[in-house]
Amino acid sequence: MITVFVEPENETFTFERHNTVLMLQKRLGLRVNDALVIRGDRLLTSDDRLVDGDEIRIRKVTSTG
Amino acid sequence: MKCRKCKAPAEIPLPSHNTAFCRDCFATYFTGQVEKAIRRHGLIMPGERVLVALSGGKDSLSLMLELSRLGYDVTGLHVDLGIPVSSPAARAKVQGFCDLHGLKLRVVELIKEGLPIPDVKKYINRPVCSACGKIKRHWFNRVALEDGFNVLATGHNLDDEVARLFANTLRWDAGYLSDQGPCLQAESGFARKIKPLYRLTEFETACYAFLNGIEIHNAPCPYSGGASFTGHKRLWADLEHQSPGSKISFYDGFLKRGRPAFALVEKDEGHALAPCETCASPTSTGMCGVCRLAIAVTERRAADPDRQ
Repeated sequence: MITVFVEPENETFTFERHNTVLMLQKRLGLRVNDALVIRGDRLLTSDDRLVDGDEIRIRKVTSTG
Repeated sequence: MKCRKCKAPAEIPLPSHNTAFCRDCFATYFTGQVEKAIRRHGLIMPGERVLVALSGGKDSLSLMLELSRLGYDVTGLHVDLGIPVSSPAARAKVQGFCDLHGLKLRVVELIKEGLPIPDVKKYINRPVCSACGKIKRHWFNRVALEDGFNVLATGHNLDDEVARLFANTLRWDAGYLSDQGPCLQAESGFARKIKPLYRLTEFETACYAFLNGIEIHNAPCPYSGGASFTGHKRLWADLEHQSPGSKISFYDGFLKRGRPAFALVEKDEGHALAPCETCASPTSTGMCGVCRLAIAVTERRAADPDRQ
């Protein structure tokens, strides 16, 4: 189980399993530079692997005014 | 994924440049892009005082921090829009950031100036984002001139600039197309305006803000739903995804080949400017647009039975 917190909507999702960040991005409809993918104090890239218990923060980057 | 420069694990993928960086090499890249923009367009001269417009978002705070690290004499300017919940939160982020880094800050409060944005939205029959932008630009320029700053810097990034250029092109707006760019020289009562982040995308400024521990105000403005630029940015994100490098190619191409042609047209058709009869800001209509807005809001507020 991984937990995903999405900004700026401040929504939380849980997913049973995702092997990589790329799979998570696709699941959320995000392209590689649409959002920061954060685990702890590190930024993840599409090929980084996700593991059970991960808490991931998705920070969308498009400012809306 | 490995950093292209040092082969350490990468944290920042940049398909537009067909590369990826670790955080240390990304910091070098980011600084290099800002320095390149400043050098290529003569944005800031040695010894000049720079006023930086601070909204509390990732772009403006990143710009302020980077310019201060490069040794420029920077002062922040925040315009408190007077929007409940949203404005106090944004202002707190700006104040906290400046306190943390020991940076100078000036705040203009639109409530004190009689022109809070909620009243503009309520009493003025025009898109509130347009009026709000006009009011903010008015105060940026006014403070820059009144307080003796040489240059006004904003945190517009490549995505902002491409979206704006796209909108201006859709309307073939020769006036705006004649002078859009990273540097607008001082003239006719306007301070010099610069955009040192114009070579960097929103993703890159967001990475910079995160990696430097900048706490940002990222809640969307409650009044900005459906703003056209957001839709244009989505279109350009699709284009960039299909063809990496499209944004910078479009924008750089415009600066080299498009803008000079429109500047020639506008030279013949431009309007003469004179100081506003009320606030001395430059205008082509006797009284500037913001002073006319302030009068209209004051009159309609006074006539509003809900405000008696």
